[in-house]
Amino acid sequence: MKTLLYSIMLIAGIGTAQAQEFNKQLSAARTAYSAKKLEESRFAMQQMMQELNIIAGKEVLKLLPAKLEALNSNPANDNVSGASGFAGVVIHRDYGTGAKTAVVDIIGNSPLMASINAILSLPFVASAGGNQKVIKLEGYKALLQKNTDTETNKISYEIQLPLNSSLLTLKAENSTEDEIKKFAASIPVSQLAKTLQ
Amino acid sequence: MKTYGKLLPLLLAMGMLAPATTNAQGFLNKIKQKANDAAEKALDKKTDELLNGKKKGEENTTNPPNANTSNNGPGINTGTSTGSPRNKGGAGLVTTPPDVKENLTSAEASFKAANYGEARYSLQQAILGVEMEIGQELLKSLPETIASLPKQADKDQVTSSGWGWAGLTIHREYLKEDKQLSMTIANNALMMNAINLYLNNSAYAQTTGGNQKWKQTKLKGNKAVIEYDESSGYKLSVPLGQSSMIMFEGINFATEQDLMAAASQFDIDLIKKTLGEK
Repeated sequence: MKTLLYSIMLIAGIGTAQAQEFNKQLSAARTAYSAKKLEESRFAMQQMMQELNIIAGKEVLKLLPAKLEALNSNPANDNVSGASGFAGVVIHRDYGTGAKTAVVDIIGNSPLMASINAILSLPFVASAGGNQKVIKLEGYKALLQKNTDTETNKISYEIQLPLNSSLLTLKAENSTEDEIKKFAASIPVSQLAKTLQ
Repeated sequence: MKTYGKLLPLLLAMGMLAPATTNAQGFLNKIKQKANDAAEKALDKKTDELLNGKKKGEENTTNPPNANTSNNGPGINTGTSTGSPRNKGGAGLVTTPPDVKENLTSAEASFKAANYGEARYSLQQAILGVEMEIGQELLKSLPETIASLPKQADKDQVTSSGWGWAGLTIHREYLKEDKQLSMTIANNALMMNAINLYLNNSAYAQTTGGNQKWKQTKLKGNKAVIEYDESSGYKLSVPLGQSSMIMFEGINFATEQDLMAAASQFDIDLIKKTLGEK
């Protein structure tokens, strides 16, 4: 109980530290801009963007379920890594410790988005391979993919769900198609879409 | 015999099916041919219409439903009466860059309200605004004429996506008759990696003799790569600091020295300073 309390305090602490950093960079950006130091101002704004990405990523983590069916999340592995640049922010949470595991990764502002959206808008392409099909989660289209490991012949499933310019990926090892669909059903897609705007 | 009895109808059926499939193929081909012909005809007709224009009376007889809507439509140009009206001109888009201060304020407000998506959007607009200003400032600091070529004011261009990784590009052209020098500054550009690879990799060593297409050189103490191509002329790429690059393209420059002299008229240190490069 104590550790839980501590960890909550720690998370809250980190959150406020990030908010402080955001405000600090904001005033730096303003001062530099007023002094016509444009490049400095721009750098401060880019820092702000990075802080913002991380804070928003943490909000998203809060929205993700603590359990996917019987699989408990591993809070120690929760991670938000923010790059202000190319790849965007990456939000990670994994579930389960045994043979059966699931991973949720959200890539914010991902450049990969275009290709997924192309597949989703051409349903016959998606269903042609037999290993891919388009499903719906809370009304949002997603791509369900079956992967077979060439060496071990193990089957894993993956759901890719584009949300605005972000991409949510849910991967499940040693699960059936029905199971991964059930996992996906416990993810609050609409709320995530709102936060990831 | 019994088995023959069973096989006989099967063989018969196969015999009947075989010509049927070839017939079906022929039939499909015919349909395809017809469709192609029809499409071509339609296309020809449309092109003729577009090229020659069509008389109103004709339009009424051949295409009555369209004629109605086009006649009622506003600002119809009778010369090209192919249906929808054509835009004859407008003021275009206002190209004022986003207001940095205003966007910072709205980013702050959205951030306080935990509305991170909105905050991100405003911040992106602010970055875009400041990048446009950096670009304009840089353009102002560049010389008006280079090697007796005057600048083409209407070709000045600052491009920014506000995303950071796509970078900020600043473009200017100098032109007189058929001699042209264009300059592009790319800041925070992804392509930087490529050019630095060139400069650091000894595998791209210079060769003597043969047909030298490119070589390393220096512009005011900055390492650079110069290239020559028979059709596009000279190209000089100079990486600036960690994340910027300036590129000169010279068309109809007589010699390498000619281009280098033109490029050295730019104040590279000032450009570096404006972009915050060391």
